[in-house]
Amino acid sequence: MRDQTLKYLLVAPAVLVVFATAVWPLIESLRFSFYQGRTDRGDFPQNWLGVENYEWAFLYEPAFWNSVWVTGLYTVITVALTTLFALGLAMLLAPGGKLRSGVQTLLILPFAMSPALIGVSFRFMFNPEFGLFDAFFGVVFPPLADVSWLADPDLAFAVIVMADVWGWIPFLTLVLIGGLASVPQDTIEAAQVDGASGWRVFKDVTLPQLMPVLAVVIILKAIFSLKTFDQVFMLTNGGPGTATQTLSHYIYITSTRYGQVGYAASVAWLMVIPMMVLTYFYAKFVFKKD
Amino acid sequence: MAEIRLNNLTKRWGDFVGVDDQSLHIQDEEFLVLLGPSGCGKTTTMRMIAGLEDPTAGEIWIGDRMVNDDLPKDRDVAMVFQNYGLYPHMTIFDNIAYPLKVRGTPKADIKPRVEKAAEQVELTEFLHRKPKALSGGQRQRVALARAIVRTPKVFLMDEPLSNLDAKLRVTMRAELKHLSRQLQITTVYVTHDQIEAMTLADRVAVMRHGVIQQLGTPDNIYNDPANMFVAGFIGSPAMNLINGSVQSGMFVTTGGTRLVGIGGQDRAKAVLGVRADDMEVHGAGQGDIDVSIYAFENTGESTLLTVQWGKQRVIARGDRHLRKEQGETVGIKLNPDHLYLFDPDNGDRIRLGDK
Repeated sequence: MRDQTLKYLLVAPAVLVVFATAVWPLIESLRFSFYQGRTDRGDFPQNWLGVENYEWAFLYEPAFWNSVWVTGLYTVITVALTTLFALGLAMLLAPGGKLRSGVQTLLILPFAMSPALIGVSFRFMFNPEFGLFDAFFGVVFPPLADVSWLADPDLAFAVIVMADVWGWIPFLTLVLIGGLASVPQDTIEAAQVDGASGWRVFKDVTLPQLMPVLAVVIILKAIFSLKTFDQVFMLTNGGPGTATQTLSHYIYITSTRYGQVGYAASVAWLMVIPMMVLTYFYAKFVFKKD
Repeated sequence: MAEIRLNNLTKRWGDFVGVDDQSLHIQDEEFLVLLGPSGCGKTTTMRMIAGLEDPTAGEIWIGDRMVNDDLPKDRDVAMVFQNYGLYPHMTIFDNIAYPLKVRGTPKADIKPRVEKAAEQVELTEFLHRKPKALSGGQRQRVALARAIVRTPKVFLMDEPLSNLDAKLRVTMRAELKHLSRQLQITTVYVTHDQIEAMTLADRVAVMRHGVIQQLGTPDNIYNDPANMFVAGFIGSPAMNLINGSVQSGMFVTTGGTRLVGIGGQDRAKAVLGVRADDMEVHGAGQGDIDVSIYAFENTGESTLLTVQWGKQRVIARGDRHLRKEQGETVGIKLNPDHLYLFDPDNGDRIRLGDK
């Protein structure tokens, strides 16, 4: 057999699997998004609707806009908090930092946990009767002990933010440690000798040189925040009410619980838009030509 | 402008001694070169002066202030790094202006001073570029300009020419020398290149294993080395070190050849130091010793003869018109005024009386 033919044969299984699990569902979901596609009626999908599904989301569905708002807020807050904490930790743990030791290895543990598991464990910790936080605040600040964290809309939102930030800090920290290690030490020392204080060295020399890595980290985290589902599903299931319903959760509920697959597909495709924008910038930073 | 005093300076990392209890007094406006092989403690000494490394023990004085506890920014020094340490995200103008900016120089003053510094190192046309658009030599000039844009008390230069190609290094060396004479600021210069040390320094401190072996003018360390290490480190080619003994006033090689009268008491073991330039090449039988040529090299401005000297090889410099063949026998005559004797056990110089 000629090498030419052989090489195509060898990659064919992988291509087929990707096609069946990624490309085909994508195409189908795009097709469904233009149909009335309800699972509780026969002959799926039903009528061709054109862009009506999209119209419906935009014009008549407050729940859609609610989840857009929740997702947006959630993304902005988690990206900002995770990046800030991770940058601080990375500064401490980077070569020449103040905390470098076995801490780095421990750090990866939260990231090794599955998001669903993080959701379950946080749910337990915030349980108002036997949770860890109940016990903790019972000793430290009793007025906070009996708060039912997950029953209050704002507190529930804060809890999922916390769980997400906690879970993502390690990965971002490790990436930023790598980024910091690639900042040439002599530029930092040059700035010190030139007369810069610690803060100015960071602001004028370290941060600008860390920017490409930081940008990648922020975009990557934004992409993951936008599609957050597991923790919401495990911790609050979008509640109380729809206070913590992210877009992914909204799509899941409308398709599986209410059976509106066509409509859910159109919302999913709307979510693709911000993802595409972020991915574009991500690719631009990662594959930047020097 | 200021003098620098190092009092019993020590730097240790665990068991490793970087700088071992060294004291050094650098005069105001002096150009002092710290010279030595890698790992000898020269860069560590400089980094301690800059404040980038904390001494384990000892005092550092700049002018009339002990700066041990001062941050680098408060020591009023300027430093040129081996890898330049330029800020890659800033233009050349901003790189040079940075020390002024962080020290709160009024905006109106910054521009003329940056332009003047750029002019001194001939960079005026590159001010709007970023460092990566410049060549190595140009980057080195930016680093220099950044150092001279202020008038610091002290210049510190850490192997500033070692990343340049050989030709550029010679040009930059002359420019550095010119600039330093013009500026008259106390300078500490670290290098492993003895030519740089010889050409630039007012005084050279030759270091080894964290200890200053000899401190003196270039003339001084070249013509009057304190020990075998300094003798072997300074000069190109390195000084020839010939093993032998001293018997009734004569130096006798290990092979038994009575070589040259040097006086002094008898010694069972001694090392004779003689530079290539102090060995005259004559015809066979006309020198102090007949040797056969192991290799003959013509460098253009002179010729180098590596000759087999018993079990050792020794390098002699000949006239540039000299032509010899490998294997030929020649007579070598030693210049009796420039012979050095060392103790092979500890490397110490054995002074040959008042010769």
